[in-house]
Amino acid sequence: MGLPRISITTRKHLLNIGLCLVLIWGMFDAIKGPDLVSDLRDFTGRYGAYLLLISLLFTPLSQRFNWVKRNLSMRRNIGVWGFIYATMHLLIWITLEFYYDWQLMLDEIAGNLFILLGILAFILLTPLAITSNHRAVKYFGYRKWQLLHTLTYVAVAAVIVHHFMAQKTAMFEPLFMGSILVLLLFWRYRHAR
Amino acid sequence: MPVKSSEITPEKVFKRRRTLIAAGLGVLAVPLLDRGYGLLQQKPDEVNEPFAPVSAQLGRQSQPLTPTPYETVTGYNNYYEFGYSKDDPAKAAKTLMTSPWSVEIGGEGANKPGFYDIEEIKGEHAIENHVYRFRCVEAWSMVIPWNGIKLSDIINAAQPNSKAKFVRFTTLNDAQQMPNADWAGGPYVEGLTIEEAMNPLTLLATGIYDQPLEQQNGAPIRLVVPWKYGFKYAKSIVKIELVEQMPQNTWWLQNKREYGFYANVNPRFDHPRWTQATERVIGELGRKPTLLYNGYADEVGHMYPDLDNRLYFY
Repeated sequence: MGLPRISITTRKHLLNIGLCLVLIWGMFDAIKGPDLVSDLRDFTGRYGAYLLLISLLFTPLSQRFNWVKRNLSMRRNIGVWGFIYATMHLLIWITLEFYYDWQLMLDEIAGNLFILLGILAFILLTPLAITSNHRAVKYFGYRKWQLLHTLTYVAVAAVIVHHFMAQKTAMFEPLFMGSILVLLLFWRYRHAR
Repeated sequence: MPVKSSEITPEKVFKRRRTLIAAGLGVLAVPLLDRGYGLLQQKPDEVNEPFAPVSAQLGRQSQPLTPTPYETVTGYNNYYEFGYSKDDPAKAAKTLMTSPWSVEIGGEGANKPGFYDIEEIKGEHAIENHVYRFRCVEAWSMVIPWNGIKLSDIINAAQPNSKAKFVRFTTLNDAQQMPNADWAGGPYVEGLTIEEAMNPLTLLATGIYDQPLEQQNGAPIRLVVPWKYGFKYAKSIVKIELVEQMPQNTWWLQNKREYGFYANVNPRFDHPRWTQATERVIGELGRKPTLLYNGYADEVGHMYPDLDNRLYFY
């Protein structure tokens, strides 16, 4: 009875294929729309932020739900995919939005705190993505590796403020993301000892 | 609890970690330095200098305007009564009934107030064609070939008196036809000074690309003021009043720090959260420098005596 059992490795492969397909679908969807640049930029930014938030939700939810616990090792894939989406977001900004005009990009960073925050988040996420593997855990030792990866919280906070500040109005989404982060931090605080 | 020897960081790793942290901090400092550099560049004397366009701006001002494709103009809109996303209005605005439509002309400044049918308005006044740059306060832009009536024609027909100091525009606010009608807690209101309203650039548009306006673009009649940010272009207008007091426009009421009454385009005055120095031309790659008064300084510059007064530029 029940569904055929799929190993965690296969489930992870399916997840990877799925998130890759979502990215491809997003690109095709943007090509159909009236403004490719903002569609692609916003799509990758939005879903990158959600993926990072989901990766943070794994720990508390795994203590509540068994099915999350069984898939706990997917957390890493989701986090890394969040970084891949963020990288696409940044590359779209550099190529499609600014067309490699570095001077203009510097001016824009100087004049826009929200862009600075986005770049800061990307800089914080980069070492985390690089160390998202068994080798790095072994190299640092689990505790230190874990400490390093608490930086995700700082990065996600920067991402959410970045999202909030880039909006003219319709603040629901960044506020929604922000409240999830606050709940997560509260949970972390309660379970700190 | 004694620390296991395996948990002690080997010295080599420890030192490497320091290098890593130092490198990380170094990378972090780069954008901070950029920001500091940007702030340093804004020396007061440079800011006070009257409009000194960079060569790129001059180049852009004299470039012929290439109209943005019709599908883009009708598919990428801000019309919050139909939703907050750029593609919401095109999908949701079809429920807006634009015929029959009447516009009320009134206010204490009009000696000849009245209700006018949209067809009557279109029939009585000359329809002109103007290709204008369109600059949104969100730092994107388009080029739009408008068809419309000079607002001055409508105002003259209403026989303005000495009380006509401002013009107040009220747009349709009908929850039956607009899924997000209540976003601002009432009808969308915009305003101009009488001088701005009488400027020959100011239009009441009824069409784009020789097609009647589509609902998402503000059918059947909307304001066009090309030297101002797009939120001034009141859509689906039902009332035009000539008034003595400065109208309280919707975006100013929404956020008085970020949006003002004049909202003239000026690359030197940033929005509190983003720069207005450049704009993304929809459908093109890369960004372009934004022009003072959106490139219409010759036509409108005389109306604003002080180029350093933020009052005029947000």
